[in-house]
Amino acid sequence: MSEAGAALAANGVTVRFGGLVALDGVSLAVPPRSIVGLIGPNGAGKSTLFAVLSGLLRPATGTVTMDGDDVTRASPQARARRGLARTFQRQELFGELTVREHLVVAYRAGQRHRLRDLLRYLPVDLLGLGNRPTPGEEEAVDRILGQLGLRDLAHVSAGALGIGTGRLVEIARALATRPRVLLLDEPSSGLDARETAELTAVLRRLRDEHELALVLVEHDVDMVLGLADDVTVLDFGETIARGPAAAIRADARVQAAYLGDKSVGDET
Amino acid sequence: MTTYFVAGIVVGSVYAIASLGLVLTYTSSRIFNFANGAMAFFVAETFYRSVVTWGWNPHVAGLFMIFVFSPLFGLVLWAVLFRRLSDTPSFVRLVSTVGLSVALPALAAILYPNIDANLRPSILWSPAHDYVILGVHLDSDQLAIVAAAFLAAVVLTVLLRATPFGLSTRATVDSGRLSATSGINTSFVTAVSWMIGSTLAGTAGVLLGALRGYTIIQFTSLLLGSLAAVVVARMHSLVLAFAGSMMIGLLQELSASQQFQHFLGHFASATNPILLGLRPSIPFIVMLVFLLAYNGLREERFAIDTRASVPSFGAAADRAGRPWWRRMLPVVACIAGVLVAPAFLNGVWLSVVASGLALAIAFLSYVVVTGEGGMISLCQITFAGIAAAITAQWATNHNVPVLLAILIGAAVAVLVGMVAALPSLRLGDLYLALATLAFTQLVQNTYFQTPRISNFGQGVPVPRPNGLATDRAFYYMLVVLFVLVAGVVRNLKRSTTGLNLAAMRSSETATATLGISIVWSKFVAFGLSAFIAGIGGGLYASYAGAANMTQFDALIGLVWLTVVVTWGIRSILGALLAGLSFTIIPQFFTDHLSGRWLNLPTLLFGLGAIALAREPRGIIADVVNRHRARRVAS
Repeated sequence: MSEAGAALAANGVTVRFGGLVALDGVSLAVPPRSIVGLIGPNGAGKSTLFAVLSGLLRPATGTVTMDGDDVTRASPQARARRGLARTFQRQELFGELTVREHLVVAYRAGQRHRLRDLLRYLPVDLLGLGNRPTPGEEEAVDRILGQLGLRDLAHVSAGALGIGTGRLVEIARALATRPRVLLLDEPSSGLDARETAELTAVLRRLRDEHELALVLVEHDVDMVLGLADDVTVLDFGETIARGPAAAIRADARVQAAYLGDKSVGDET
Repeated sequence: MTTYFVAGIVVGSVYAIASLGLVLTYTSSRIFNFANGAMAFFVAETFYRSVVTWGWNPHVAGLFMIFVFSPLFGLVLWAVLFRRLSDTPSFVRLVSTVGLSVALPALAAILYPNIDANLRPSILWSPAHDYVILGVHLDSDQLAIVAAAFLAAVVLTVLLRATPFGLSTRATVDSGRLSATSGINTSFVTAVSWMIGSTLAGTAGVLLGALRGYTIIQFTSLLLGSLAAVVVARMHSLVLAFAGSMMIGLLQELSASQQFQHFLGHFASATNPILLGLRPSIPFIVMLVFLLAYNGLREERFAIDTRASVPSFGAAADRAGRPWWRRMLPVVACIAGVLVAPAFLNGVWLSVVASGLALAIAFLSYVVVTGEGGMISLCQITFAGIAAAITAQWATNHNVPVLLAILIGAAVAVLVGMVAALPSLRLGDLYLALATLAFTQLVQNTYFQTPRISNFGQGVPVPRPNGLATDRAFYYMLVVLFVLVAGVVRNLKRSTTGLNLAAMRSSETATATLGISIVWSKFVAFGLSAFIAGIGGGLYASYAGAANMTQFDALIGLVWLTVVVTWGIRSILGALLAGLSFTIIPQFFTDHLSGRWLNLPTLLFGLGAIALAREPRGIIADVVNRHRARRVAS
């Protein structure tokens, strides 16, 4: 897998929290329109890697690139503009907005980021002149709501949603920014088996319809192995395996990391 | 030099006693007690009354106040207020104690009128004994303060580090719920810590009164100085709170020394207001320096709060269900009432209501910065004051038409607002509130004191607009302007910028990853709020006839905040009612009451903010909710 052609890549990323090494020289490449899985036990550094990829955390060493350009020092906003979006393990919904408003906020974010645009829209916002949706906004928002089955909930306040629906809203919000790479942090946690299966189908369809690359952090190993083209396994901040799903399933080190190291267990 | 050094230690000791109490109560309950100085004042006034009026023996009275009255006072406040705050958003926790700091001095003034500032009863000896230590004169009251500070530091450190109570406190801090499940009585722990905190405040109060007199001014500077020390301590370190207190006390007194004044003389004349304002400003300079130097003061916000800091005003679904004219009814009714009011009001009342309208415009700025922006600002009154001052300069000294001058003033306020917004990019709720408080004090101690602005306490005259000079014409202009500004605020709420602000209130992280600029959103919220506060301040000065900076005092700003939150910080109607009640209620009391009871309105405003502990969204939301509940039930 070539990191040069990747829509998003991490190259030798190291993150330390005080004395703790959370990520130790981890690399990851996400080709366009691929699904990449990221698995590993609790504390392996998966969410930390997501924070580095999305710009919320700056690595001690290593780089992050998008389409070959170094974005290691770029803000989350700048990366969003380049087509990166994400969801969160602990939900970060906007409690006072409706489901639809989540998508509207995200959709419009892409239209006003240059200072010139911000200044141009400010009088519009304050004086209420011409404050109507831009062409294409309603259609785009409705389409995403439909794809994720959220149409009926469009006008419900996000504060009133259950966990499973909340995860879908986070995905819908991320999609409304029209990303090329979508980072999903444990999208199936809190979902039952049926919902997980539905989500899997939705994600596959998203990749095909939106021409989207997906990166999945998951606890549900079976889901990842069934969905991903390529899987990276982390343990204690290190990459212990990397390759196609079938190879990962058979990898002895992966099994050890998940099932516990028997030899250590015997000694204690 | 030694004299100033010793004076610095004495002042630092006062700060230390107060700041140790603040650290303890914040550590145990995550409530930052803005009312610490007011509690000290209340105990000190009670002590004064017991000695001077009731004729108690000062030694007995002092010990009683410190070791019996103060802890009980703390226990009562814990039971009625602090206990209820533990599960409220940080906004409510902060504003409730601001309300207490407004209410307690007013209550003291009602309970204990006619305090003679020349009488200074002391717990020790009156007049104080003099000692000469290492060639420096110290009296018994000063020695007592220094001794009390060191004693308090040692006792508290031992208590927290080496006793079961300390262990429970530290466990409660890390996770109240978890330690409750492991058998720790968290209520007991927080109650005791509030009793100790109150005892420390009372000690500082009783000792400070003897030294500096029993006036609220002294206790305000005590409170504000100790706030800076607590920032140095990052809210939790007793050692740093003590060291910071001493440092601030020393810096303050040394800045007054002849050597330093002589050194400053090289740069500016002795009457330069910036230099005159230096000494009272030192705590705030220290506070700002440390706020900006420390890293991670933003993260602490997320560690403490898991929910949006400003309460929401009804879920989105509730908004949709009713016809638009029903929803607009209260606003329309209020505006109609305001429009016909002049027909029924005599001269005095018309001007009272008009001033209230001008303030209501300024109060709309809270709806923008705190209600929509989710940021707690204690410097809105400074924006209004700066704009009023600039308006006066342009209108009177440069003969610019007054309405244009008000716009210029508001534009300058926007620039100042941008500066005030800078800390918000780094700081979470509580620290931002403290930074804005420091900012407002700095402006007040320096810029507002310049002769050109203060005009020897008279304020620079501001004319009324040509053709609108009568009370009635000006009144109608204010109504129109309120409606215009309210329209802008309403548009903001419904606009993309408003949606972005609502998103930011819930999760800055998620907002940033969507590509929305947090910096821009905060600048817009602060800048617009400064503009609106500036318009209100300029109009207020124009109506009053002068830009008198004493009406834009930082402490009045705290009362402004309590009135606005009492009605509802998210509501345009709330700002209107807040502005009107801020002028109408005091006038009503002036008409019907006299003497000590004139403090009653301030007490009410303070109590209103305290009541947020029960209904964080304010009176209007409370009424709406009851109405809705009744509708659903029927």
